[in-house]
Amino acid sequence: MTRPSLRSDSGTVETWRLIESWDAAPEFNMGLDEALLDDPEAPPTLRLYTWSPDTLSLGYFQKWADVPGTGSVGAVVRRITGGGAIHHTQELTFSIVLPQSHALFRGPVPLSYGRIHEALITALAGFGVEASLAGQAGLLSDREQTGMCFHESTPLDVAWGARKGVGSAQRRRRGRVLHHGSIKLGSTPLEGDIATLEGYLPGDNPIGALAPALLREIETSFAVHLERSEATASERSAAQRLGGRYASRSFLRRR
Amino acid sequence: MRPDDRHYLPSHEWVKTDGDTVVFGITDFAVEELSHGNEDDLVYCDLPEPGRKLTQGETFGEIESVKAVADLNSPVAGEVVEINKTIEDHLQVLAKDPWDKGWLIRVKPDDASMSHLLDAEGYEASVGEADE
Repeated sequence: MTRPSLRSDSGTVETWRLIESWDAAPEFNMGLDEALLDDPEAPPTLRLYTWSPDTLSLGYFQKWADVPGTGSVGAVVRRITGGGAIHHTQELTFSIVLPQSHALFRGPVPLSYGRIHEALITALAGFGVEASLAGQAGLLSDREQTGMCFHESTPLDVAWGARKGVGSAQRRRRGRVLHHGSIKLGSTPLEGDIATLEGYLPGDNPIGALAPALLREIETSFAVHLERSEATASERSAAQRLGGRYASRSFLRRR
Repeated sequence: MRPDDRHYLPSHEWVKTDGDTVVFGITDFAVEELSHGNEDDLVYCDLPEPGRKLTQGETFGEIESVKAVADLNSPVAGEVVEINKTIEDHLQVLAKDPWDKGWLIRVKPDDASMSHLLDAEGYEASVGEADE
């Protein structure tokens, strides 16, 4: 398969900032993503993160009453991206924040999913995972009325073993895009029989194996150079200011 | 060419004068970006209650497709006087006809000026750049 090139016409390699946040608070994770989305001056940024405590995130438009699992998790937030609920534990979460005019996000939303998911599929293949786009047939992991992202599939989702293994969602605001992705390292009682990387990665440090491979593939697929960095003081301040809303009763129960 | 009887924001909202009110909607380009030709891909739309005061550029609602949530931005300031209740439950109407039956809200504007907005030609140029 010929992979679409995102390299600029001049052939130059773009630099993206890489921010890693391990075992971060759910309010911080969501607040920093929104701070990056809202700042038109923020450089292209890829984040890798995990959550502490384990967190159930609802999709922006989901009704609280439609997600049965809210009482059985460490924390609950509502995302600003759409889709279904995700139980963030045994998972590598990533976010990409770029201008909407960037080649990665240009054109209809499904095309950008295709670009990102092809890169994920290639990265996973390095561990022997035979992942592919789900296609039209539906998946064995599809379930009715659980409210969970991994129980609803679209043809563009990444799947292996006929089960969904990556959750994805976007927010588009004022010419910028936030793309969320969740790669499952293991399953949880709320998500059940879904595709995970259990058995494909070293059990004692799965993220230590997956993250570098994912970063290498992103650099290759998107023709970018990732530069490890930290959120700036003003971004951390904005994340703190914005983050409180995500777990607030009024926002959680807005629908 | 998009309709020249209205004005546009680069973020793909349109505004059309109708008597002493104005009507807001989103363009075919926005619909295509969100749904890529699948009219059932638009799944939710949140619109403001009548009576709400909007400032120019303010986010007045959100629309969700199967894979993305997008903000709806106000082209002009004013007070919401009516919302298109049809599309809240039947987003296919918006997907099929974003220029007329798929209008979003009606607003009594604070000011009739639209000089800060793009005309159809300017919007075409803006969309052309996005396509490149």
